[in-house]
Amino acid sequence: MQSLHTTVGLAINENEPLLLRDFQKLLERLAPGDAGYEHDDFARRYEIAVDESVNGHAHCRQLLLTGFATLLVEDGKLVLGRWQSVFAVDLDGPRHRELAIQLDGEFAEVARETGNQAQLVELEITRQLMVDPDAVALPMRRLMEAGGKRVRPRLLQLTSLIGPRYDPLLAASLAAAVELLHNATLVHDDYVDESTHRRGRPTVAAAEGAERAIAVGDYYFAKATRIIAEIGPTAVTSTMAEALEAICASQIDDVAMRGAFPGDRSSYVRIVKGKTAALFAAACASGALLSDAPPEVVAALKRYGELLGIAFQMADDVVDFSPSSGKPVGLDIRQRVLSLPLIYAAEDREVGAEVRSLLQGSLGDREVDRVVELVTSSDALRRVGDEARGLVEDALRELEAVELNGLRSTFVSIARSAVDRTA
Amino acid sequence: MTVQIIEVELDRLEDLWSDGLSETYRSYVEALSDHDPAVRPKLGLAASLIEVGLRLQGLGGRAAPPPTLLMGDLCLARGSRLLTEAASKPVQVAFARAIEGLSASAASGKPSAPVRELLLHAFTATE
Repeated sequence: MQSLHTTVGLAINENEPLLLRDFQKLLERLAPGDAGYEHDDFARRYEIAVDESVNGHAHCRQLLLTGFATLLVEDGKLVLGRWQSVFAVDLDGPRHRELAIQLDGEFAEVARETGNQAQLVELEITRQLMVDPDAVALPMRRLMEAGGKRVRPRLLQLTSLIGPRYDPLLAASLAAAVELLHNATLVHDDYVDESTHRRGRPTVAAAEGAERAIAVGDYYFAKATRIIAEIGPTAVTSTMAEALEAICASQIDDVAMRGAFPGDRSSYVRIVKGKTAALFAAACASGALLSDAPPEVVAALKRYGELLGIAFQMADDVVDFSPSSGKPVGLDIRQRVLSLPLIYAAEDREVGAEVRSLLQGSLGDREVDRVVELVTSSDALRRVGDEARGLVEDALRELEAVELNGLRSTFVSIARSAVDRTA
Repeated sequence: MTVQIIEVELDRLEDLWSDGLSETYRSYVEALSDHDPAVRPKLGLAASLIEVGLRLQGLGGRAAPPPTLLMGDLCLARGSRLLTEAASKPVQVAFARAIEGLSASAASGKPSAPVRELLLHAFTATE
């Protein structure tokens, strides 16, 4: 571990409050703040920054500490003596600081465990957000900390175990980039859909305004594509770029279709293939490509991802009619967002005529509540649920001929849990 | 060749061509005269789509209405995909960094260098 500042020191010592005061006094005695430092005589220095601190004492105190620490980690835990703690000592703060960490060791076996893979992605996301400017990082952090199922990074990490070359840290970085990319698209979507809440919290557009939401979305779109370009082989970069383009094109089609709301099943599937399934498919393909899996395996995993993505969106549509969705029930109807249950309800022999009539008029609270009532009383939600589960079985059939390195049960459980959920 | 590329790559964005994208494209292609002629149209189109996309979105100014924002998003995505096809990795990274810088400035209300200047500079990135 290395401090990236000349006024931040690292130390391993005892974390006892009185002892900390002793340390502070020792540093103050050896390098008093008012001793008069030549470094603080700006008249004699060149290239002084506008916000340059008067901090000669801090630099001298740092000389008494160290900028580096080597730490041992065993079974995921720091190897420290009973009384040892690791300190980052800010001698000229407090303010935002950065430490660099280089990991050296055997990660492959440990990282194979699902829980550890998920942790690696969370760590990587946290690390990426930590180095970004607050104006973009804070809204994105709030969005990402509020939850999210992290299905796309899970799929990418899982498929990165298929080929002969498994690099857990690289896979985690790529998986984190995919999740950042996904969330960047959500920030813009929420502005487009005029959504006020996501994951139970105000959307970036609602909390910070449209201008900020556009900038945050753009920043993480660019950052994610940069990380992907830095890490990925060309095939991964192309796969991801094509998926992102498909997402954006389908968003235009989605909004255009709102004039014919609620639309029909074939338009729904076409749009969902771009809007949701493209990134699922790209995540599955990219993990496999990263691990040098054979082309036929990459193709099968991509098809698995696409079918799973469509099923996932259908399950999402069903969840939107439940109070546990994290957003007000009926919001999507008011915003005329594509929804398969609504399409099926509008085609229903018993409730269809009333649903269509309500959707053609203006949608106030009373009309939206009535549409929700009609959809839930019809067969639409069951039909969509059955269809989603059918697609999951189709997705799993795509993998029947593929050697999955002992991971078949994990692919099955991810696929089934993507559709059997209440939130 | 150039006409074919442009026709294919303007799907859903056809109206932009007569609305300023063609001039922007020509400016970039001229500025890239020292690049391989085989990739120049794609590189020029990528950069012009990104510049026009950022302008459509209203980045750093007044937010675009939703349909225009989505067109801007598609411009950025298509521009990035064209870069993956025609630009070196350092150039792809430099373009992404330029957009990161512009977005961060926009989010914090700070001024930034003109987009074209930043994107032309990104083309000079090497390993």
